[in-house]
Amino acid sequence: MPLAFFVYRLSQTPPETTAIRDFSAPFVFGRFSVPEDNPLTEEAFRLGRRLFYDPLLSGNNELSCASCHLQELAFTDGLAKSVGISGEVLQFSSMTLANLMWGQRRFFWNGRTETLEEQALIPIQHKDEMGQDLDELLKELKASNEYRSLFHAAYGRITTDNVAKALSTFMRLLVSANSKYDQYLRGEMKLSAEEEHGRKLFMAHPDVKVSLRGGNCIDCHSQFLTSGFKDMFDGFSNNGLDNNEDLPIGLMAVTKDPAHRGLFKVPTLRNIAVTGPYMHDGRFQTLEDVMTHYNSGIKISETLSPLILEADNNKGDPDQARGLNMTAEEISAIIAFLHTLTDEEFLTNPKFSNPFDQ
Amino acid sequence: MNFCSKSWTTLSLTLKLTTASVLPFSATANAVETREESHAMVLLRGLPTLGTSHSVAIVELDPESENFGNILSEYEQPAMEHPLHHMYYSPTGRLYATGLDPKCSLAEIGLARDASGSPVVQSIDCLDTQGQIVGEDIMWHESNGQTYMFVTFMGGTGGDDGGSVGVFDPQTNAVVKVIEARKSQVGEGEAYIMYPHGISAYQDRMIVTSTVHPDLATGVGNSITVIDLNTLEPIQNITVENEKPVGFPSSPVEVLFARPTIHEDIEPAVLVNTMFGFETWKIPYNEEAKTFGEAEVIYSGVENKTAVPLEFYGNETELFISHGLPGVVKRYDLAQLPELVSTGPDIKAEAGAHHMIFYTSKSGRKLIAVQNNLLNLGDAAANDPTDIDFIAGLNDHSITVHDLDSGERSASLNFKDKYNKGIDNVEGLFGAGFVHHH
Repeated sequence: MPLAFFVYRLSQTPPETTAIRDFSAPFVFGRFSVPEDNPLTEEAFRLGRRLFYDPLLSGNNELSCASCHLQELAFTDGLAKSVGISGEVLQFSSMTLANLMWGQRRFFWNGRTETLEEQALIPIQHKDEMGQDLDELLKELKASNEYRSLFHAAYGRITTDNVAKALSTFMRLLVSANSKYDQYLRGEMKLSAEEEHGRKLFMAHPDVKVSLRGGNCIDCHSQFLTSGFKDMFDGFSNNGLDNNEDLPIGLMAVTKDPAHRGLFKVPTLRNIAVTGPYMHDGRFQTLEDVMTHYNSGIKISETLSPLILEADNNKGDPDQARGLNMTAEEISAIIAFLHTLTDEEFLTNPKFSNPFDQ
Repeated sequence: MNFCSKSWTTLSLTLKLTTASVLPFSATANAVETREESHAMVLLRGLPTLGTSHSVAIVELDPESENFGNILSEYEQPAMEHPLHHMYYSPTGRLYATGLDPKCSLAEIGLARDASGSPVVQSIDCLDTQGQIVGEDIMWHESNGQTYMFVTFMGGTGGDDGGSVGVFDPQTNAVVKVIEARKSQVGEGEAYIMYPHGISAYQDRMIVTSTVHPDLATGVGNSITVIDLNTLEPIQNITVENEKPVGFPSSPVEVLFARPTIHEDIEPAVLVNTMFGFETWKIPYNEEAKTFGEAEVIYSGVENKTAVPLEFYGNETELFISHGLPGVVKRYDLAQLPELVSTGPDIKAEAGAHHMIFYTSKSGRKLIAVQNNLLNLGDAAANDPTDIDFIAGLNDHSITVHDLDSGERSASLNFKDKYNKGIDNVEGLFGAGFVHHH
């Protein structure tokens, strides 16, 4: 057998990979699935982590995925809207990358991709984000002994598909499940009286008839994940940020359905205390600003979520502002509960950190 | 319940009711899927003569799945004589089980997800009950603005007239209070708690039943106990006893406080099933005066040729009551409670019809699965001493799956045939699919 053919066959042989070790996620997060052609492996995670933090992925070799997704900010960047390679302010705020295996299965604020693998290559190629040509990226990766070894171990070959797969594996394994709220759910600790009050308000849809006060958060942010729901487009909502004249296109850009104008992805609230500014366009600086919006600043539009329109603790009073109409104490309690969603272990876990620093 | 006595074997000779006909198995096979709506948690009892152990398992119950009847995850109980008994999810998604063995009268079951996303049973932690034994039912309810986990212990802290309601901190699982009032120790006419099993509550009133001593020989109850949740003390007993078709006290077993929070048209009243009286009772409740009216029989098993009424379950529109013999589930209009107004023919399960869950099939059909087993779990043919024939033929060892709309049987799964085990309890993987168990 000619040596070249032997080498060729060797390079085509799928590697023997190691299933991800010591993985356990909370039962209450629900079922997740991973593409059959991209199982969770130690090798893919190692490669994906390096790619995520490597400026090689950008056109000028100065920006990495981590430039807009900082671990200490739950993989957001602290800006209202991110700034990429072109220096232009981008259209949207950087999204947190926690718990991507659960919740709504469309990605980006407007849901324009249906898989993480599809999502992963878009910012790399976007002229204002990372501005990288994929063929150029492959050349650079193939020139690296380190990457040749890592790709071989994970997938066998260096391809753009495998770049996407590795990045997706790394992002899938960014699991945040040890916040104070998680510890509370496991019975390991109690919430303070204010946090517990906030939790109950978070979980309650207000009902004036039976004197039930509520923040109505759970109608869009699920009980355990605090993310949007996964079925169909349930995980997208028009939460009353704009009136009809200013309503952005949102999900309609993908579906072409006018009923989806102004709908954006409902994000997880995990680590929400460190992921400001808030909303798809970062218009609110603080959680207090966010709660003020929901409490009294709801703007009416044709696609406003009925779940928000109907949620009013003073229903029937036409003089009240549009919103939840909660007391200052109740708003403080919800914010106190939101702070229990901060997962310090997630924000500092060395497994998720920059491998080039180690 | 425990089943240490053989004295009940005589009942098998005196009670022979018609058993449900067995419809053909009609499961269809589909591609492997990962939907979990049709997964159930089951408590399985090892059968000594068949060499099997007690365990907790997750099983597929969608007749349209090619995995129907397969155990997807199983965790063996720590070594002990008796199995876990009933499972309940807490409002925060924690799974608990009561237990029959004195070493483990109450436990928390740990669930997690593995790297494939599949649910797995990963632990059973027995909890300190401060001596309370034979755990039965659990519910979460408020007392003075604080939520507690309430557990009935049919054996209480022991003795001939034992029985207690354990009040637990729902976060730490620590005992906050043991509500106990022995009939032999309270004064004449004072409220007592004895062999409590069923539990239900509305506002500041909780009801527990007085069923039977765990040894099934020492004593049998015939009343319910009202507990004032402001003081966590029993305040009243109400007798629910009429016919004695098997010659024993009525043995109230499960109870449901029908209330407007279930359906706005419901006038508050307590419904009680009597295991040996074969009856369902109604006790009206005046919530302004906080008084209970006269108890009356609203369903007679003797008249209707059914026996051993057991569980109350409900969905958004109907209430379901299981009857161990002949093994049927009767269905009623939820909005017309506390009256029992039928909504259709009986769902014909199997002898021992007991717990149930509600869910949908892959194609979207609404289903009900009925666990058919009461106590008799041994293998009589092998002279298994644990096969106590408590009441004739209450041990089909099966789960039958039925179309909820028509009641027609879609499939059945016999755990003794397939796994050499009995089945003691079923619960939806996500807690239910029902909303008014208590």
